[in-house]
Amino acid sequence: MDIINQYILEPVQYEFIQRALIASITIGISCGLIGTYIMLRRMSLIGDALAHAVLPGVVVSFMVAGKSELALFIGAVVSGILTVLLIGFVNRNSRIKEDTSIGIIFTGAFALGILLVSQLKQVHIDLSSYLFGDVLGVSTGDITLSLIIMFIIIICIVVFYKQLLITSFDPTMALTIGISTTVVHYMLMTLLSMSIVAGLQSVGVILIIAMLITPPATAYLLSDSLKKILILSALIGVLSSVIGLYLSYHLNFASGASIVLVAVTIFLLVFLFSPKEGVVTKLIRRRESVRTVLLEDVIKLTYKFDGSIEGVSLADAIANELGISNSKVQGALKKLAERNLLESPGGKHLLTEQGNDYALKLIRTHRLWETYVTKEKVIDMEHIHPEAEKVEHVLTEDLVDELDEELGFPEKDPHGSDIPRKK
Amino acid sequence: MNVITVKNLTISYNKKPAIKGVNLNIASGSVIGIVGPNGAGKSTLLKGILGLLPFDTGEVKIFGKDIEDSRKRISYIPQREQFDWDFPICVEDVVMMGRYAHLPIVGFPKSGDRQIVEEVLKKIEMDKYSKRQIRQLSGGQQQRVFLARALAQESDVYFLDEPFVGVDAKTEKAIFSLMKELKESGKTILVIHHDLGKVLEYFDKLIMVNQTLIAFGDSKEVFTPELINRTYGGKLTILQKTEELIS
Repeated sequence: MDIINQYILEPVQYEFIQRALIASITIGISCGLIGTYIMLRRMSLIGDALAHAVLPGVVVSFMVAGKSELALFIGAVVSGILTVLLIGFVNRNSRIKEDTSIGIIFTGAFALGILLVSQLKQVHIDLSSYLFGDVLGVSTGDITLSLIIMFIIIICIVVFYKQLLITSFDPTMALTIGISTTVVHYMLMTLLSMSIVAGLQSVGVILIIAMLITPPATAYLLSDSLKKILILSALIGVLSSVIGLYLSYHLNFASGASIVLVAVTIFLLVFLFSPKEGVVTKLIRRRESVRTVLLEDVIKLTYKFDGSIEGVSLADAIANELGISNSKVQGALKKLAERNLLESPGGKHLLTEQGNDYALKLIRTHRLWETYVTKEKVIDMEHIHPEAEKVEHVLTEDLVDELDEELGFPEKDPHGSDIPRKK
Repeated sequence: MNVITVKNLTISYNKKPAIKGVNLNIASGSVIGIVGPNGAGKSTLLKGILGLLPFDTGEVKIFGKDIEDSRKRISYIPQREQFDWDFPICVEDVVMMGRYAHLPIVGFPKSGDRQIVEEVLKKIEMDKYSKRQIRQLSGGQQQRVFLARALAQESDVYFLDEPFVGVDAKTEKAIFSLMKELKESGKTILVIHHDLGKVLEYFDKLIMVNQTLIAFGDSKEVFTPELINRTYGGKLTILQKTEELIS
């Protein structure tokens, strides 16, 4: 409790930490939501470009209005949209491809921003806080601004959910039913510029693309549903920025860098260990499946030999059939005994009733699959057997039943052997 | 009344005409195949009629109106390769897009829309898979989902771009019987088709195109060796030769 108190709760009594927390949460949500669409539409390059290109707008707003949140907002959004328009213009009116024109325009705009900053000594702008972020330095005005931006983004995503979905997934259909992809594109670009404005203070222009891309990508690895991805992405965004904020406070890290590193760490953890598609998870699953395949092959062969070969020689016969070592088979037989699938009265290996059912289930799957591929002419007779050897281990029971029904509950497989019925 | 009227339609890419001077009058209640070799402008013609490409010259009317006023009544089924199959969307949500044509700008699907989606999925035997992400379907099932989407739109004209490519026998049959059913209820179906094998079986009428319109008429009348040769033949027409010289 003391540790929680000391490291997590105690800082919250400071007003600047409260402000930083609210800023972190809003930016996590705004960027997580907009970033999901940026990722799905494969626009991360333009997201990065926009983040850089808002700089001249920010500086000009300072020149005109001093430190005013409204001016900052307008300046950033205007220069963001101008950049998008310019990129499109260059792209349409020359042979230059989009990624190249993005590269030209955004570096140009960014350089212009830096030049303006260096020339305007009378206006005090802390350039480094725009470049690298300083979440601990956000003002009340900044927070009001990012809260407003967050609500605008949430409202637009809810209200225009279907337009955003259809133009992202199938722009051609969107056009045929009269939904303008251009209008939706510019709406998204405006929202993107806004989320960048919100993120300027805490993460900075250079790293904000990470907040737009990394949480959605992490969420995408965890779910197949757009709505879930949006929510997860916002949550991961919030989590990254809050943890990053604390690291920044306690360890005196640059806030942008620590927020982004937390987000990337979460991404890596999910990438490696996510239950569905994690790299390590898949590795473990593959090893398990190799083991299962061996056990199932041994069951089937034991069933086939049906006590006709005794004791050690059974293991030899199976090892011979499968082309693996005798000791592996011994190990498998032992495991089968542990699972009550096999018993060995008087040195004779016999399947228990349970083991018998298991073997029949495998044979049923195998033969139904062969019948299915022959009927659907997927592959010819010669090749179906090895294929079925693999398939019998992976088909779920539901799928096998479905297969059976679709085939009209056949009695014989293409080789003329009986297909065991389901018990 | 004609469903689709195309007058002197010319569409170019980079100043080279992809289709030139096409005239068509298409009546309702038929299944029409659009055939021609690769690069003949089949897709261009279809997209032109759908108002997805700017015209150089010409005019397209659907139900006597401009395309913009007929959008609710037409649906388009693109080629399968065009999609990002990893997109986080399930079968049901794809089909629901068909209903978007009828929803106001700000408005969510109602229970009536959901009911239509459910019925359509049942009809096309995909109701078991309604929550499944689209990557986890076979090629034929994917094609059926997009058919279902067009059906959910309840339109009067259907445009299909190569629907038979890479589908299994079951889906091919399903698409074919669906086209027949739609035709019998007075709908119009235009299908871009690549393979000449089953042309007579599938289509009542044929649009044979190779930059210009070579022929349009009842399949049995226009699917003749002479016209096929003119559509697919290696020899360039005088028009094409001239264009080669000019460009």
